Amino acid sequence: MFTAQNLLSVGVAALLTAGLYAVMSYGLAIIYGVMKVINLSNAGFLMLGAFMTLVYFQAWHLDPLAGAFVNLPVFFVAGWLVYRGLVRRVMTSLPLASLLMLFALWLVLQNLALAIWGADDQSIITAYTYKALSVFGFRIPVTRLLVFGVALLVLGILHYVLGHTYVGKALRATVQDPQASLLVGIDTDRISAVAFGLGTAFAGFAGSLLTLLFSFTPDFGGAFQLKSFTIIVLGGLENFAGVTVGAAILAFVESFAVLFMKASLQNVIAYALLVIVLIVMPGGVAQLWSRNRS
Amino acid sequence: MRPLRPASLAAPVLGILLALVPLVAGRNITLLNLGFFTFLYVAQGLAWNILGGYAGYVSFGYAAFFGLGAYTTALLWLAGWPPVLTYPVAGLVAAAFSLVVGGPTLRLVGPYFSIATIGVGEAMRILMLNLDRITGGASGLNLPTTVPSKTWFYYAALVFAALAFGVAAWVRGSRFGLGLAALRMDQEAAESLGVRTAVFKNLAHVTSAVLVGACGGLYATYLQYVHPDTVFSFTESISLVLIALIGGLGTLWGPILGAGVFYAVQDYLQTSYPTFHLLAYGVLLIFILLFEPKGLAGLVGRAWRRTRGGAPPPRAAAGAGVEMAGPGRPGAGGPA
Amino acid sequence: MSAALVLDHVTKRFGGLVAVHDVAVEIAAGQITGLIGPNGAGKTTLFRMISGGTRPSAGRVLFQGREITGWSPHAVCRGGLCGTYQLVRPFPDLTVLENVTVGAAFGGSGRLGGRTPRAEAEEVLEFTGLAARRDVPASALTLAQRKRLEVARALATRPSVLLLDEVLAGLTPAESQQAVALVRRIRDRGVTIVMIEHVMRAVMDLSDRVLVLNYGRLIADGPPAVVTSDPQVIEAYLGPRLEDP
Repeated sequence: MFTAQNLLSVGVAALLTAGLYAVMSYGLAIIYGVMKVINLSNAGFLMLGAFMTLVYFQAWHLDPLAGAFVNLPVFFVAGWLVYRGLVRRVMTSLPLASLLMLFALWLVLQNLALAIWGADDQSIITAYTYKALSVFGFRIPVTRLLVFGVALLVLGILHYVLGHTYVGKALRATVQDPQASLLVGIDTDRISAVAFGLGTAFAGFAGSLLTLLFSFTPDFGGAFQLKSFTIIVLGGLENFAGVTVGAAILAFVESFAVLFMKASLQNVIAYALLVIVLIVMPGGVAQLWSRNRS
Repeated sequence: MRPLRPASLAAPVLGILLALVPLVAGRNITLLNLGFFTFLYVAQGLAWNILGGYAGYVSFGYAAFFGLGAYTTALLWLAGWPPVLTYPVAGLVAAAFSLVVGGPTLRLVGPYFSIATIGVGEAMRILMLNLDRITGGASGLNLPTTVPSKTWFYYAALVFAALAFGVAAWVRGSRFGLGLAALRMDQEAAESLGVRTAVFKNLAHVTSAVLVGACGGLYATYLQYVHPDTVFSFTESISLVLIALIGGLGTLWGPILGAGVFYAVQDYLQTSYPTFHLLAYGVLLIFILLFEPKGLAGLVGRAWRRTRGGAPPPRAAAGAGVEMAGPGRPGAGGPA
Repeated sequence: MSAALVLDHVTKRFGGLVAVHDVAVEIAAGQITGLIGPNGAGKTTLFRMISGGTRPSAGRVLFQGREITGWSPHAVCRGGLCGTYQLVRPFPDLTVLENVTVGAAFGGSGRLGGRTPRAEAEEVLEFTGLAARRDVPASALTLAQRKRLEVARALATRPSVLLLDEVLAGLTPAESQQAVALVRRIRDRGVTIVMIEHVMRAVMDLSDRVLVLNYGRLIADGPPAVVTSDPQVIEAYLGPRLEDP
């Protein structure tokens, strides 16, 4: 059971999952970082991303990977509109109001999807869904490799945007100090809209990727959303690099835990980790890092 | 402490009227069912509001208490206890759990507490699903079939609702309620004025958990069946949140108004899948958050004032609407 | 006069920054002690260590002979030591009366001598001149009124020691005069007062003794007239003397 081969293959699976988790969580992290808003509708957009991909697939035989990239602009606009129309109006109230607003939006999205598509399991089967590749002696499903590759690509682009474009720098500045950002001329309202659009775009994108790996129903966003929270809290709530760390931690803990416990209990790990980290180490891993430096 | 508002004298009158309904309407099962579920939601909504509205800690995980209460009653009943005796125990079990969970999580600030409760609620459901030796797992537990009449259940639920109302009304008018209102508005300031915020938060949590747990027990008796996906469901948790928010967070009558329509709407909108009413409520909640944070109670209040011809607005109620303090960090405001 | 409050080599470090360094002082009961110093000198941090909001990194705080170091704020308040906030924090949706009742019902619990909290609150409102506003929600008050509410709330806890953090900031001269008079009336009731202030005239008028903090250290301690002509104090505020050309 605990052979080196086994452990390594679990490790590889964890790594691949980590990539997916990172993409899934970045949307949440950007919105939280820039606006200090907990986006509960992330789950709804994740799920919608999956269902839109289904629509593209059924209507135009569009491969889910292509569907993912189609979703990016579509969901960006959707997010922008949600910010302008709903979120902005309650942001002047206190944090709980925006949380509840987005919760309400999640409810609406989820039940709309139920109304349109019903509660049945959906899945997208492509030519390569069941194929696997041999990589260094491990048989890895092609879908997992593709998802990981695309995730890395998008994360790379995000890294570039954050580091080298005006928008990216403005985003990071607003995360660090909203008031100072205003003073240097950054339109924080616009940046918030961009952030929300980006966050939603990531959710839609991740939802598409998820269709390659899992079957889905309108309810399936919830568990992933909680995992995303766990990840960004683990990584340190305002730390972008931390998201990758958090994603890796969760993916590895989950993957290796399956060696010890029933698979159906796997989600409990994320929930338990979330609560524990919030209480014991609210700054996440980033907190440990900064403590070491001072 | 604070005098009870005259409007709350309307409650006993309403209670008596409702008690008379079965005598008048005879054995109309639909009506009795409607009554049962509505009163149960009223009771739970009022209870939830003590922590969510008065103290300002919005929990998305109350299904854990409902479910624990339901299963406590189920297991004791199967062991031979008369169901009625199990209800207080169900409440106590839920209360004990609320202390265990609440102790650490209530130290988190508003939104983080809410997120944590989602995790706790769902974790409980999955755990219960997996503890199949005790809970019957995915097939649930079938309970004895000798139960009282629907009329009995109607009155039992009414009693629970009345009890919950009494508790909520008392809390609001008491020193306890004042402390909760203070800590909701500014926890640090309240603490610096002598309010034992940690104790009060947990007390509110426990009080509401007891009531919700007992409701779970009554529900189990009624249904004669318990299953983790029903009694521990996220839908149950968010129903309570919706009832209180739509009715008017932190108001006394809010949960009554919210619950009053909740079950009826749910029943009416039942189409091919069971959660369609949530769509309606989601939309309603959005409107409420945008335009009338005090929910239905706020709307009623405004209409009432208009008919009375511009009477001065009521004194700031201790806990009206979605107005809660909360800095942007998970850790509670404590030593810097 | 006995010491109401003793700070025994109190220090506070935030990571590498030493906000308060080894402050040792005994505050006499029944007096008004002023605490002054440039911005960032550590005055509010010192207050917070006394009232329980922050735990000292080193040293002890003794109140009426009892050690209260590290006590939580509610316990300190119940013990008879209460403070106000520099940026006022009224409970916005509670009325003025309810705000003050919170102080009386909790901080003053058990020490109201048989009075109900509400009665105590009413009396404090009279004393501080807010009785006319008793049923107004706190969010509707002007700044000067909110500052008075802040003081009234703290007073309702029947403190033996009251920590006032810049109660005069932002007030017009007329409002300041009223506030100064209020502080005197509170002292005349037997309450020991320690006040952080930047308004020098008020400090000179009110204080029996002045402490000066600079970069976390106590650099002067004495009657107002002496302290304000102390060259070290002047240098702390204005910087070193320019060299003669």
